[in-house]
Amino acid sequence: MKGFMIESSKSTPEVTFDPDNHFIYIKGQSYPENAYKFYEPLFQWVDHYFEELKNEFNVTINFELSYINTSSSKCLMMLLDKFEEAHCAGKSLTLNWYCDLENESEVECAEEFLEDLTLPKYILQRVD
Amino acid sequence: MMSNSNLFKIQSLLREEGIHISFSGRFTQSIIEELGEALKNYLEAEQRPKNNIFNIFSIFIEQTQNIRNYNVSKENSQSYDKIAQSCIVTIGSLAETNYIFSGNLIETNDARPLTDSLEHINTLNKDELKALFKEKRKAAINLETGSAGLGLIDIARKASAPLDYSITKIDDAFSYFTLKVLV
Repeated sequence: MKGFMIESSKSTPEVTFDPDNHFIYIKGQSYPENAYKFYEPLFQWVDHYFEELKNEFNVTINFELSYINTSSSKCLMMLLDKFEEAHCAGKSLTLNWYCDLENESEVECAEEFLEDLTLPKYILQRVD
Repeated sequence: MMSNSNLFKIQSLLREEGIHISFSGRFTQSIIEELGEALKNYLEAEQRPKNNIFNIFSIFIEQTQNIRNYNVSKENSQSYDKIAQSCIVTIGSLAETNYIFSGNLIETNDARPLTDSLEHINTLNKDELKALFKEKRKAAINLETGSAGLGLIDIARKASAPLDYSITKIDDAFSYFTLKVLV
């Protein structure tokens, strides 16, 4: 399966999906004009990836998002639901959510994304 | 062309109202991005607390993207040009309180649903707003516009006071909507 990469812009994050190393990485700010248009190819890639993924591999997912607007937040929730489904189907995933721990608003936002998930997840300090 | 004295008047008014950044005209995604970056740089230079910068920036983005999305939804209607050119946003601070204050024309037909949702949001406390936000975030997205219908709820969650809005009827077709958010 082929990897997937997008460079960042002012309002969209950098995306790296690396199937060889089982690594998923999203970093930057997310507030595009149409969030669904931006995230749709990511949904497709992730669906396809989990279909092919064997249970013995460990997938690392790193999110480093300094700002997320509400429509992107909805799309990220859809992405997290896909991770949760994969986890419930027996895949091995770890989600690291990097944020600025000194910024209580950012931490609260991270907690709200993660609080209903059962997959292994961590909130960690972002290094800028 | 504007006279020298009018330019001076505008500047005095901006200063009196504590306005740091203002933009009037057609909102585009790139204008929103440029103003957003400028706003963030301005707040960082003032060494504001991080969560204060985060909240002001978030409210600014949601408020301006709401207006932008509204304009886009009118793209194929006759009122598009009039609405698109009617938008203004100002960011300022008075007596330690920051505000994001915006205005735009809306079709009078759209006033009722907007009032209803603002009135409903203003009756909710922070916990209820959080619950509503989470519930709506799980609901289906509007695939065509990419809109999540979460903007006003998120603004209310980050605001330090109830949402202060007005809708003034201009004629049968148009009304002017203003939204002042304190943070």
